[in-house]
Amino acid sequence: MTASGEGDGGRPGWGTGPDAGPDAEGDREPVRGRARLLSAMHPRATRAQAVAALLCGVLGFAAAVQVRSTQDAGLSGLRQTDLVRILDDVSERGARLQSEARDLQETRDRVAGNDSVAALDEARDRARVLGILAGTVPARGPGIELTITDAEGQVGSDVLLDTLQELRDAGAEAIEISSVEGPAVRVVASTAFVDAGQPGSGAGVEVDGTLLAPPYRFKVIGDPSTLQTALEIPGGVLEVLDQRGAQGVVTQEDSVAITSLRATPSPRYARPADADQGSADNG
Amino acid sequence: MIAAIGLVLGVIAGLFLEPTVPTWLQPYLPIAVVAALDAVFGGLRALLDGIFDDRVFVVSFVANVVVAALIVYLGDQLGVGSQLSTGVVVVLGIRIFSNAAAIRRHLFRA
Repeated sequence: MTASGEGDGGRPGWGTGPDAGPDAEGDREPVRGRARLLSAMHPRATRAQAVAALLCGVLGFAAAVQVRSTQDAGLSGLRQTDLVRILDDVSERGARLQSEARDLQETRDRVAGNDSVAALDEARDRARVLGILAGTVPARGPGIELTITDAEGQVGSDVLLDTLQELRDAGAEAIEISSVEGPAVRVVASTAFVDAGQPGSGAGVEVDGTLLAPPYRFKVIGDPSTLQTALEIPGGVLEVLDQRGAQGVVTQEDSVAITSLRATPSPRYARPADADQGSADNG
Repeated sequence: MIAAIGLVLGVIAGLFLEPTVPTWLQPYLPIAVVAALDAVFGGLRALLDGIFDDRVFVVSFVANVVVAALIVYLGDQLGVGSQLSTGVVVVLGIRIFSNAAAIRRHLFRA
């Protein structure tokens, strides 16, 4: 783009390139230029002077207004596309900050808030339930008591095992076996019955290493009517006992208390496979 | 001299009256100012060349402003307003520089 002189107030097409000036003009040209400037400086009421003054005034006015509006205009002076872009930027930034705030809030809740309390409560509940199943905590609830009197010593480990399985099938949640006058054993998953003497000797049954002598008593927590029905079905436990000359008595109870406990077994070899629990164990 | 006085008076008026620029004019005013500045420099150069003509000056002044504003308006309608504004400012800036160079040569022989 070379200056063509268009719009410069001179003749159209007058100007050559910017570098063509001094060579093409004589040495006296600058002097004439200065003289012309000086002569133009003299205030004269010519039309040219008036028009130039008017237009320069307009230019100065507009420039001053523009400068001022640029200085104090925040967004009002921007064009539509710029405003849209700024709006986009702002909303995008807002969304980013909002998601960050959400993340931080979650972190805070996790660290200090209700979530940890709830998790702790849940873990306690779980431990309690598992404790009932594992026999490490006492249990109480509705259920039945089954008393087996074995006058002829015909009730051995097989009958007791059948009884136990029948109770489990009927939904028993906690079971304790005891001699009526003697020690009590909490029944768990690994409970085993061993005859203490020859069948029919009435020597009793060893349950998990504890010798129980007849008469036996089962304390069972579960739905009382279901448990009783399960024991009374034809060919069921009570009938078998009857055939062997023993007697089983079932009583439904609103509240059966099972207080005998099992020590918490600590596995020697098995470890939780879950990575988190493993590290928690190590820590 | 009167032109310089007019310029100063215009600036003072702009500063002290503090007019608010109408919204529709806001995108075009800066371009118009630059275009007018180009016309004024051109007029000064023509004066030093001894070919200043007030009629041509008025026409070029108004035409510069109108064409510059028109280009920006057109660019806004086409969705390339900011780019066209930049282009117009660049072109006018080049013209101002070349005019200033000619004026400099007249006054300082350099």
